[in-house]
Amino acid sequence: MRKNIFRLALLLMAFAMLLTACKPAATETTTGSGTAATEAAATEAAATESAATEAQPEEFVFGMLLVGPYNDRGWSQAHYEAGLYVEENLPGARMIYLDRVNPADRPGTTPAQLAEELVAQGARLIIFNSDDMKDSSTEFAQAHPDIFVIMASGDQVWAEGNAYIPMDNMVNIMGRMEYGKMIAGCAAALTTQTGQIGYLGPLINDETRRLAASAYLGARYCWSEYLGNDPAALQFKVTWIGFWFNIPGVTADPTQVADDFFNTGYDVVISGIDTTEALTEASRLRAAGEQVWAIPYDFIGACEGADAVCLGVPYFNWGPAYLATIQSAINGTWTSSFQWNGPDWADINNLDTSAVGFVPGPALSPDASALLNQFIGELAGGLNLWTGPLNLQDGTPYLADGEIATDQQIWYLPQLLEGMQGQSVSGE
Amino acid sequence: MEGSKGAKLTAKTIKWISPLFQAAAFLLALSFTTLILLAVGAPPGQAYLNILKGAFGNTNSIANVLVVWAPLLLTTVGVLITFSAGLWNIGVEGQVTLGAIFTTWVLRLLQESALPPWLIILLAMLAGMLGGALWAALAGALKTFGGVNEIFGGLGLNFVATALTLWLIFGPWKRPGTGSMSGTLPFPETLWLPTLSGLRLSPWALGLALLAVVVVYLMLRGTRFGLRLKAVGKNMRAAYLLGVPTWQHMMASFLLCGLLAGLAGALQVTAVYHRLIPSISSGYGFLGLLVAMLVNYQAVWAVPVALFFAALNIGSIQLPIVLRLDSSLAGVLQGLLVLSVLLVEGARQQIMKRLRLSDESAPVEERP
Amino acid sequence: MDVALYDIHKTFGRVHANVGITLSVPAGTIQGILGENGAGKSTLMKVLSGFIRADRGEIRLDGRPVVIHSPSDAIRHGIGMLHQDPLDFPPMRVIDNFILGRKGGLLPGRAAAKRDFRALADQFGFSLDPDAYVDTLTVGERQQLEILRLLWLGARVLIFDEPTTGISAAQKEKLFAALRLLAEQGRTVLFVSHKLEDVEGLCHKIAVLRQGYLVGDVRPPYKTAQLVEMMFGKSVAMGERQPAKPGPVALRLESLSVEDDRLKVRDVSLTVHKGEVIGLAGMEGSGQGLFMRAICGLVRPTGGRVWVGDQDLTGRSYLAHKRHGVAFLPASRLEEGLVPGLNLTEHFVLAEERRSFFVDWNAGRSLARQRILDFNIRGAPETPVESLSGGNQQRALLALLRVPLDLLLLEHPTRGLDIESTIYIWSKLKERCAQGMAVLFISSDLEEILQYSDRVLVFFSGRVTPPLEAADLTTDRLGELIGGKGWPEKGGQG
Repeated sequence: MRKNIFRLALLLMAFAMLLTACKPAATETTTGSGTAATEAAATEAAATESAATEAQPEEFVFGMLLVGPYNDRGWSQAHYEAGLYVEENLPGARMIYLDRVNPADRPGTTPAQLAEELVAQGARLIIFNSDDMKDSSTEFAQAHPDIFVIMASGDQVWAEGNAYIPMDNMVNIMGRMEYGKMIAGCAAALTTQTGQIGYLGPLINDETRRLAASAYLGARYCWSEYLGNDPAALQFKVTWIGFWFNIPGVTADPTQVADDFFNTGYDVVISGIDTTEALTEASRLRAAGEQVWAIPYDFIGACEGADAVCLGVPYFNWGPAYLATIQSAINGTWTSSFQWNGPDWADINNLDTSAVGFVPGPALSPDASALLNQFIGELAGGLNLWTGPLNLQDGTPYLADGEIATDQQIWYLPQLLEGMQGQSVSGE
Repeated sequence: MEGSKGAKLTAKTIKWISPLFQAAAFLLALSFTTLILLAVGAPPGQAYLNILKGAFGNTNSIANVLVVWAPLLLTTVGVLITFSAGLWNIGVEGQVTLGAIFTTWVLRLLQESALPPWLIILLAMLAGMLGGALWAALAGALKTFGGVNEIFGGLGLNFVATALTLWLIFGPWKRPGTGSMSGTLPFPETLWLPTLSGLRLSPWALGLALLAVVVVYLMLRGTRFGLRLKAVGKNMRAAYLLGVPTWQHMMASFLLCGLLAGLAGALQVTAVYHRLIPSISSGYGFLGLLVAMLVNYQAVWAVPVALFFAALNIGSIQLPIVLRLDSSLAGVLQGLLVLSVLLVEGARQQIMKRLRLSDESAPVEERP
Repeated sequence: MDVALYDIHKTFGRVHANVGITLSVPAGTIQGILGENGAGKSTLMKVLSGFIRADRGEIRLDGRPVVIHSPSDAIRHGIGMLHQDPLDFPPMRVIDNFILGRKGGLLPGRAAAKRDFRALADQFGFSLDPDAYVDTLTVGERQQLEILRLLWLGARVLIFDEPTTGISAAQKEKLFAALRLLAEQGRTVLFVSHKLEDVEGLCHKIAVLRQGYLVGDVRPPYKTAQLVEMMFGKSVAMGERQPAKPGPVALRLESLSVEDDRLKVRDVSLTVHKGEVIGLAGMEGSGQGLFMRAICGLVRPTGGRVWVGDQDLTGRSYLAHKRHGVAFLPASRLEEGLVPGLNLTEHFVLAEERRSFFVDWNAGRSLARQRILDFNIRGAPETPVESLSGGNQQRALLALLRVPLDLLLLEHPTRGLDIESTIYIWSKLKERCAQGMAVLFISSDLEEILQYSDRVLVFFSGRVTPPLEAADLTTDRLGELIGGKGWPEKGGQG
């Protein structure tokens, strides 16, 4: 009997692992997904109804492949909502989507294969939403020259890029999150009491390096120009956990990393990962009476529920770019391009125009808020922090005095910048 | 004591009853799922029809199902070997990963060489099997010499395997330019395992998997080695007293399972993804454990049940696309299936126990 | 309490385990229930104690009909049963086990329970430490604990299922004294056994069951021959002891020492000749088990040498011993001897020495059929071993032994077996001894030791006597030695 119980426990354990460990890309569990599905179905029904009453433009079906669950309150949800935005604003456009597109959730499948499933359902344009799907999107675009392809966050069709592959039917779209991170860095610098800012990084690659560096540049600027402090007195430390979210046993535990930051005098932690451990830890410590703050990432609503510690959130807004690009596919004005879209400086939080935004959080003091707006104004006015002199972390000159970084130099940033602490390249 | 009426508990009855219980479990899972579908207002009939069509609607989708089926069969029959020896080789997941890593490694080493591509692929796949076996040997050594339970050892090694994959992709094996979640640079098409024209299915992968099923079936059923493994699994002390060198057999079962898991990993690289990606194992190890449990450790049944899982996996793709149903539904169905099997298995054991209890107090009247 | 059973019927499939059994046991009686394995004794007792329900029939307690649905129901009615394997939960303390099953609050009053426990134990002369762990107790001590527990729960009818199996002579005496005391207190005792000697010496009357029928309820004076005939329907001759002629040396121990965390056995020297039978007597856990396991390589000796034939096998593994013609049959047949889940054919194939890669199942089946016939096993080649009766399991174990064998070590070879099986097993063993196999066996049955051994080693808490000629020993003398009396002065532990 005891043996049976043991066996039962093992079975349950294996089952639990199936639900969690082997699905690294699934950041949300299945709780509540049932109701979400009905809601989605309801909105869908409503959308088709309203579409039916209008002038019946020709239908254009676009497909979207999401790496995570469509309701992950992060990267994938931002894309999903952009798709809904397109449906709303482009008569005749209809989205079909497939989420959890990753080999852990869908064993033995490739994004290219899944894209074909969407095409079989009538899609004439496919959006690949993640770096994971880069090779698959290339494979698919080359195999289906008649289908339009949007590869978000990729650089394959960037003629000036390092890995250029000409494909007429592909567009790369990415938001200039560098600005969002600069603003986040500035907010952190304006708030820190100790002069120590922690950056909770995911894995190390060109993208994550340039975002961490942007946050540093923003922080350093506001620290010295607005507060009049010595830039050398600012401590900015990056700790990489090793992945976009916590995988127990594989990555460093982000909760632990955030905790370590807060316990060693870093009173503001900027998150670069998909999940909100930094915010959660800050709230916990704040409840225990400590003066700490955090800045989440990705999703416009991330500050919710952490009013006391959230200084704001930089987020992506994919809707306008998707709308314009899909419009061009319908109009016949499509051209293969690499789009690296910045904020709308008139209003960075205008969801119809701005590709990147920053929502200030409730914990940002009025003084800091004013200075932050001043900083945003300066950026809008042409301030470019990617201007020399800047050295790489190991002291190698990166930009000479007065030299302005090219897009390539920023996109392919080889190291962190001088003045930042933390690992620059992965592998010991 | 109703259950005992008219039934003597012979091996034959047990064999006959077991599939009935499994069918009951399947029906139970199906009705649970139907209830859930109804609860979220989705049409169950249409949902099942879409799954069915998505899996078997055309040649292409059937081929896609078989692409999943092949590695899943390999891990399933692999863990059947360790199960026979009474071992829970949770580490099979990492063994698949290491198979993929070793395969990638050899492909990277030899892709520039003058060797004919078929030879490179062959060597790479052998290396993959070796990699899986080595990783399994580690779990086995921890178990037999270190006294570390294979479940904990295996879990630990799984984590290490995942970490190793990520490190390789973003470190030493980084693609030129940006290290990408998309994995290492894809290998040239000459180094892909040939597929049927227009399909993603490699007949080689399918052939190897089916061969593995046959070999494992024969091994467990018809060889002295298989019988000894079973004896070790069912009663290690008695097996030892009957003259079976126990730890050697446990180790051998680990190695064989690792070999098959490594082959699954090698197929993932050579036949499916053509590069190393972060979750290269696709969870086939855990899925294989699940299938092995569901088939009550009988190799023959692994064939249809693994096919069912593969079909569910491919067919359920249609749910979000066509019906806008949440895609976790397939996972829910899978989970329910496991839970029902657990429930039914529990009931079965209770009933068997009662039968046996009453049987013991009755005289045994089986004169040959 | 008066217990009466009326017309009890119970069938299992085709098997009629109890056929219209009517038996009445007045309060204060020790009622023997005698029968060979499978005669229906256990079924009848399980009906009475609520483990199974009769198909038909009635149970009356003190004249009132009762319906008993479950064991807890039974204890509510004052009926408690001790099983062959006392149903306890080893990783617990004695006192926790004692409290277990008691109805009432979540927090049993341990102190009060302990007082009750001591009082009850004193009454019966049991010396049990309430704070000891159950798994450190001997079979006899567990039995004592179980008796106390049932009494504390209010049992007025106590059922004992083969209680003298696996306990020492001294413990048996204590047990019998306790049973007599129970009867004097007006409680009813049902004593299930297949050992004639036990029931004859203890019971006020004896009910004999054969093939599901109650064939008689006899009162003293008992005639053994009559009882045997009632049990088997025929008379069975007991085997005679035939001394072996000493042959060449099969086993030589030079100052063998072995120890575990409880016991030390030191400096045992012994030469065993081919064909010889050595009995190892002693209370359970006196070192004989350890000693035996050290001889065959299951436990590493801490000193001395083990020679099998002319091979020095000291410190070699069991498998190495096995290759040199040594075999060990453990007492727990299903735990250590056989593989539950495998059938007889699979066992025979497993034990074969053939090295072929593939198994020829047809040959395996005919081998199994042959052995089943040779060893008179009641089972088919496809029968899973766990559904064989104890006697047939033991026969199967013997049938699995390789031929030829130089040395066979047995733990309790006939524990739990009926007379017929016991005689059969020994006839088989003696047959092989005649072919030159030497036997060492452990038994707590003194008669068995005396009847079948050529020489005897007696163990008492790690001390070992020099080999004693069985012909010179009597049960009394052996009983004393086992109990630690009459040992030659040697100073301290061995």
